[in-house]
Amino acid sequence: MFRNYLAAALRNLTRNGLYAGITIAGLAIGFAAAILIGLYVRHELTYDQFVPGHGQVYLVNLKITGAIDQPINEDTTTADLADQLKLDFPQIQYTARLIGTGFPPAVRRGDINVGEQNFIWADPDVFKVMPVPAVAGDPATALEAPDAVVLSRSGARKYFGRDAPIGGVLQVDGHPMRVTAVIEDLPSNSHLRGDVFGSSKAAFSAISQYGRGGALSNVVATYIRLKPGASGPEMQAELPGFVAKRIMPAINEQAPNEHLHEVFTLKPLTSIHLETASGDLKPGADVKVLAGIAVIGVLIVLVAAINFVTLMTARASRRAVEVGVRKAVGAERRDLIVQFMGEALVYVAIALVVAVALAELVLPGVNAALQRKIAFDYLSDLPLLASMIAVAAGVGLLAGIYPALVLSAFRPALVLKGGPIEGAGGARVRQLLVVAQFAVLITLVLSTLTIYRQTVFALKDATHTDKDQVVMLFASPCTDTLRDAVRALPGVVGAGCASPYAISFGDTIDEITTGGRLLTTHFAPVDFGFFEVYGVKPLAGRLFEESRPGDDAARTGATAPPIVVNQSFVRALGLASPQAALGHQIVWHYRPNFRLAQNDAPAPPSASSEIVGVVPDFTFGSARDLIPPTYYYVAAKNDLVTSVVLNIKLDPSRVAETLPAIDRVWDRTSGGLPVQRFFADQFLLRLYIDTLIQGAFIAVCALIAVSIACLGLFALSAYTAERRTKEIGVRKAMGASSGDILKLLLWQFSQPVLIACLVAWPIAWLAMNWWLQGFAYRVDLAPWTFLASGAAAVVIALATVLAHAWRVSRAKPVGALRYE
Amino acid sequence: MLKLEHVSKVYRTSEVETLALSDVSLEIGGGEFVAIMGPSGCGKSTLMNLLGLLDSPSEGAYWFFGEDVARYSEARLTGLRRDRIGFVFQSFNLIDDLTVAENVEVALLYRKVPGPERKRRVREALERVGIAHRASHRPQQLSGGQQQRVAVARALVSEPKLILADEPTGNLDTANGEAVMALLSDAAKAGVTVVMVTHSLTQAASAHRTIKLLDGRVVAETLLAA
Repeated sequence: MFRNYLAAALRNLTRNGLYAGITIAGLAIGFAAAILIGLYVRHELTYDQFVPGHGQVYLVNLKITGAIDQPINEDTTTADLADQLKLDFPQIQYTARLIGTGFPPAVRRGDINVGEQNFIWADPDVFKVMPVPAVAGDPATALEAPDAVVLSRSGARKYFGRDAPIGGVLQVDGHPMRVTAVIEDLPSNSHLRGDVFGSSKAAFSAISQYGRGGALSNVVATYIRLKPGASGPEMQAELPGFVAKRIMPAINEQAPNEHLHEVFTLKPLTSIHLETASGDLKPGADVKVLAGIAVIGVLIVLVAAINFVTLMTARASRRAVEVGVRKAVGAERRDLIVQFMGEALVYVAIALVVAVALAELVLPGVNAALQRKIAFDYLSDLPLLASMIAVAAGVGLLAGIYPALVLSAFRPALVLKGGPIEGAGGARVRQLLVVAQFAVLITLVLSTLTIYRQTVFALKDATHTDKDQVVMLFASPCTDTLRDAVRALPGVVGAGCASPYAISFGDTIDEITTGGRLLTTHFAPVDFGFFEVYGVKPLAGRLFEESRPGDDAARTGATAPPIVVNQSFVRALGLASPQAALGHQIVWHYRPNFRLAQNDAPAPPSASSEIVGVVPDFTFGSARDLIPPTYYYVAAKNDLVTSVVLNIKLDPSRVAETLPAIDRVWDRTSGGLPVQRFFADQFLLRLYIDTLIQGAFIAVCALIAVSIACLGLFALSAYTAERRTKEIGVRKAMGASSGDILKLLLWQFSQPVLIACLVAWPIAWLAMNWWLQGFAYRVDLAPWTFLASGAAAVVIALATVLAHAWRVSRAKPVGALRYE
Repeated sequence: MLKLEHVSKVYRTSEVETLALSDVSLEIGGGEFVAIMGPSGCGKSTLMNLLGLLDSPSEGAYWFFGEDVARYSEARLTGLRRDRIGFVFQSFNLIDDLTVAENVEVALLYRKVPGPERKRRVREALERVGIAHRASHRPQQLSGGQQQRVAVARALVSEPKLILADEPTGNLDTANGEAVMALLSDAAKAGVTVVMVTHSLTQAASAHRTIKLLDGRVVAETLLAA
């Protein structure tokens, strides 16, 4: 009996090649998308689980509240915290501090001379806190020497062309360092991105340099590993006492008026990726976005399953005679249900095999786009294999049950006489399924549009700067010599240095007083020409002018220079207009020689400056954050804290020759350091990598959903056109023209899509409204995007069914009527 | 009114060529009621399709109300059909998804008759065939006789010059058959040309003239008392 069923199933499959192909293709595309989404979500949820004993490893998170505009939440602390913790908490086995962000050090060997983006300064115990497999040497002790570096296998190949260059020497920022160990590459689900680990003990390491920053300089990531058996939550409970005793006194001494309050939280190693805070070594993932992605995966499978149901029932009439005969010779309904369910499973099984092949084919591209190294070892990965089969079988059973019930319910007498095959109920269910498919599709299209619009807005309008043809050349520090040499180049329109704070690369705050009021604001040292390069024009007053020596802090010495403020600052002062702010005296903490390393010096004396200009709010930061009240002044260019980047506006017609000319100036003045320059818009793009990935991802999913839905609609239209041959014949006999019939068919296929719009629009509105809430500066949900997505769905649907509708509408009525 | 001159119709498939009509010439006057008879496969339906402009002859000329339509395009045939012809089929050919009234209305839909007038004419046509009380039912809810009366109403509602009835009583019992025949006779009396295919001699007797077909040829014509 089973053989008979299988024969019927397979012959039915081959006889209806087009339908079968479409059914299987739809399912396979859906499954493949679901597999990839599943792999991605699992990858994101399993960060750092490869670390042995990861349950005992924590990163210290710091939250600061007080008289500051926004509470601070960061995964960085002072450099001293590790030692302080170790003294007070005997349950700590090892600690390690890391600095991986900031400006990449220049690493050089032979002809290779690059700013190494994957460089991490680390304490010697880092590989005891987070053990990794060694390729050569002993990572656990390798960073003890101050001139030691540990390379990943990729790092070793990059610089030495071999896997174990123990004893090899790299020049790091001009200092020789020896390779003491090589580790396996970190998996892509590590929150660290490290190819070169330099010993923190080096005198020039970022940890040594910034580590003297004092109680408010939170720049290093502090990791602890607890002794076996020790409990993180127990230690967590003791941290408030520790903060009160060891931390707050120093803070209150350094910032007596800001009423700061610090809270330390032990963040489990495996939660770092999902509970992001500023200062993380890799961009994290948003659990809510991941949930959204998982939902999309489920929706795609749903769309594919709906297709399956639609196509299986649509073809029911073709199987009617088979059902009639089987029933006439004694088959019970149960037998037929088993038969048709079995058939559904055959389809699903074929689709799964195709899907696995598809997923394997596409995965390398997905990995490249997502910057991941996700593996798809379905044969050795038992949970993966099991869940794939379970999902496929589940879809097969659920999607198979309805067609099986419909098909098995045919009354043999009726179908054998060739009577009506099905009532309106079946058609209504199919309409409903088409509505559901297109609702998913419209929602995805709308989401894609909104994410795209927000990203463009965030990159262009939300920053309120003109970054067109602006190049950022990183230099530590950016000096007048460099600036003037670049300004002298023929293709350069203007140039000015800036501090990292001016380009939103980190920030720093000051406490100011004006008219007896106390305010906490941001500040940023800038250079002459900085505003002009970015097209920032004064709303009131003036910008800094080189012709006024009093504007230049390098010349004013102990006297505070005048300041320019932004609009937020004016609002914070409670003034009605930019004009009103001009001439106001601001008392602030002017440091003639502002260096981060000297931050632990007593707070500088207060000095008074006049506001000489007001500029619009602008930012190089993320549109997610509000632009804070900020004042600007021209600082002495002492180090990378006051002056780190040269901003160069190019003549658009001479870009090609100007860029090499800039590089030549750099080579002449830098003393052999690698050139690191970016176009300003690229620099900004780094803030939106995750948004771009989300957008691209949803766009791809929308495309998949569109193609599956179109496959289904295409087959459905073929079926419908066929089923309605008689009706169309009658209408034509009554005088309907081909055009009338075409209009009728197209209108009937448009209806479910229009209903789908009504379903999708509110859902998409809620989802996108929620997503946009994450941005302080955001686009409106434009009505045109809703209309456009609906129109696109209608056009897609009509284009899909047009071929069949056209063919049927042209058919001669006599053929149609004879069909009856 | 209707005039066929040496009309032939050949159906071709990739393997077989079937001569459905062969050199048929005949003339049907205005207001005439003609019955076409003959065994299965003799070409009755083909003749009806040609007369009804649902198909075109392979050879010969067809003068339809003074125009030779044998080589007309599908679009022009559609236009003529819309304006001049009403159909009654053996299998009723009602659209299952539409109500009785909507089925009748289909015949007016493509004639650009304004909505209110459409409603009035549909009601009148349904009253004429005695089925107005079932106007909002679906075809499946009616008996065969009732369904055929709806089909006749659909043929009458557009006030055609020509009604083509392909075995209109073939699926009906005697009483219902007679009722449908009476409706067709009334139409002919009102000046409509009626061409009907039938197997029943009794019903053929209601016609003015019978034409007998055999193997695609006209073999006999009998004039009955009008």
